[in-house]
Amino acid sequence: MTPNESSRSFFARNQFLIYRLFSLSGLIPVGAFLVVHLLTNASVLGGAASFQSRVDMIHGLGPLLVPVEWAFIFLPMLFHATVGFMIIGGGLPNVGSYPYVGNIRYTLQRATGMIAFAFIIWHVLQLHWMGEPLGGGRFDPHHATSSAAEVVAPLAISLLYAIGVLSTVFHFANGLWTQGITWGLWTSPQAMRRANYLSIAVGTLLAAAGLGAIGGLRGTDTAAARAVETRMDDQRRLLEGQPPSPLSGTPAPGRPVPGRDSGAEDAIDLRSGSDLVPLLIPEPAGAVAPTTGPAPLSGN
Amino acid sequence: MSTKHNGPATASTPPSTGAAGGEPAPHDSGDHLALPRTIDVRVLRQDAPGQESYWERHAVAWEPNMNVISVLQKIAAGARAQDGRQVAPVAWDCNCLEEVCGSCTMLINGRTRMACSALVDRLVEEHPDGIELRPMLKFPVVRDLVVDRRRLFRSLERVKAWVPVDGFYDHGAGPRISPEEQEDAYPLSTCMSCGCCLEACPQFTRIETVRRDGETEEAFEQRRTAAFDRGFIGAHAISQAVLFNGHPIGKLIADERMEAVTDQGGIQMCGNAQNCVAVCPKSIPLTRSIARAGRAATMWAIRKIFDR
Repeated sequence: MTPNESSRSFFARNQFLIYRLFSLSGLIPVGAFLVVHLLTNASVLGGAASFQSRVDMIHGLGPLLVPVEWAFIFLPMLFHATVGFMIIGGGLPNVGSYPYVGNIRYTLQRATGMIAFAFIIWHVLQLHWMGEPLGGGRFDPHHATSSAAEVVAPLAISLLYAIGVLSTVFHFANGLWTQGITWGLWTSPQAMRRANYLSIAVGTLLAAAGLGAIGGLRGTDTAAARAVETRMDDQRRLLEGQPPSPLSGTPAPGRPVPGRDSGAEDAIDLRSGSDLVPLLIPEPAGAVAPTTGPAPLSGN
Repeated sequence: MSTKHNGPATASTPPSTGAAGGEPAPHDSGDHLALPRTIDVRVLRQDAPGQESYWERHAVAWEPNMNVISVLQKIAAGARAQDGRQVAPVAWDCNCLEEVCGSCTMLINGRTRMACSALVDRLVEEHPDGIELRPMLKFPVVRDLVVDRRRLFRSLERVKAWVPVDGFYDHGAGPRISPEEQEDAYPLSTCMSCGCCLEACPQFTRIETVRRDGETEEAFEQRRTAAFDRGFIGAHAISQAVLFNGHPIGKLIADERMEAVTDQGGIQMCGNAQNCVAVCPKSIPLTRSIARAGRAATMWAIRKIFDR
């Protein structure tokens, strides 16, 4: 179009494509990850064992987990956030002069995007092993429920998580609706209204899942959950032919490096296989508090 | 302030009062009891481009059936601020006075709308403490309430908002357009380039280019147009692109319009605040146009990437 095509920056020349990729990345993979993440977390309502088995499934990726995380979660998220901040910088919210619902949503979309960005950085550093140097990295994938429950135990942390989760969910659900307009999926005002109901339903479901997970963690008996998790961990080690983990009620802060190299040599407290076989039967749902199972183990 | 004579040409013709000329005050004591005898009008003035703006108050005698244009005409006729000081008449743009030309857009009590269809009695009902008039924020001020809406028209040029029928040959009768298509297109054709959609849009931000010392008129214009072409085209231009891409002859250059609609500052700048459709004086379904253009842009991009 413009005569001096080559003098325009890469961003200027490809603005349309970049903005469309930004829009797409909000749904795939970032939004899809959010849905999986919140629904996985909500499984904590089914008991420590139920959440733990899902976490084990994810960590079953083993050495692939890190590249998968970066390719499908962190990098797309950073791309979405970078372009998102550029978009925010280019706009001039005027909700004071034009307090229409759509305009309020426009403003909230930007506000929740920024809250979500700050929240996600905090959340990742606090739980993901990358945050260990900063005193975070508190999520232990072999003790998923108990380690997460300890993190959200202070009421203030739970409230911050609730704000972060609700902002993220609003941003995703509202983004779903605007995305349908951007790509031309729903075009008439009637279709937009119907699509709005859809996005409200998705948002409500995800908000319930997210808040449910926080509530579920807060209601967890941490010691009992830890016992369940330790037993599951031992089973897993047994199946993988590794020695069981050092037994104790103390949390093993730190490396959630999947199984392989964490079998410390000093933990040679091998028990007979027959002892463990019955434990392969899955724990009934909601079994958060059985103190009978792990009692002989922690007796030492 | 220089003491000029009474206001310009508009001074002595009070409009729209019809046959009931010269009533000093409302005589019916019914529903209109609450209406004031004088209206406090606050105008944000600016003497020239780039200068400081300042507020000025005017007391305007109430008459039946006033609109904001007739208020401005009375201000021009009096050319005195509320404190009695003689001032230059407030400048504003208007033409048709029936909401079809699109030239009298301004911020009335903080919202963008046409001055001609802003009826004073309604305004006073909503804001009993008076009327506030400001120039549009998204365009450079020429003087007082007059703004330079060149960019709005540049956007229409960018998307080629016309049917290309120039030439000497007789092409015969054009293709038929079904009544359904006509009904679909007609609302879009009522756009009067008033700029309300742009004024209310949080994604459409002001571009004001200032002429440099020693810069030729041509160089300045080129630089200004280049600045416009980096900015958002706006809802009105997207809607016109949809209108002409739906026209059987207009669609002959549909690809050129899609190229413009997806160029820098194109449809991707839309943030879906949907203020445009909320403030449009002609109730044009602008968000439907934007979504349709979005769909067309999706298909266009797929074609452009995969068909070459």
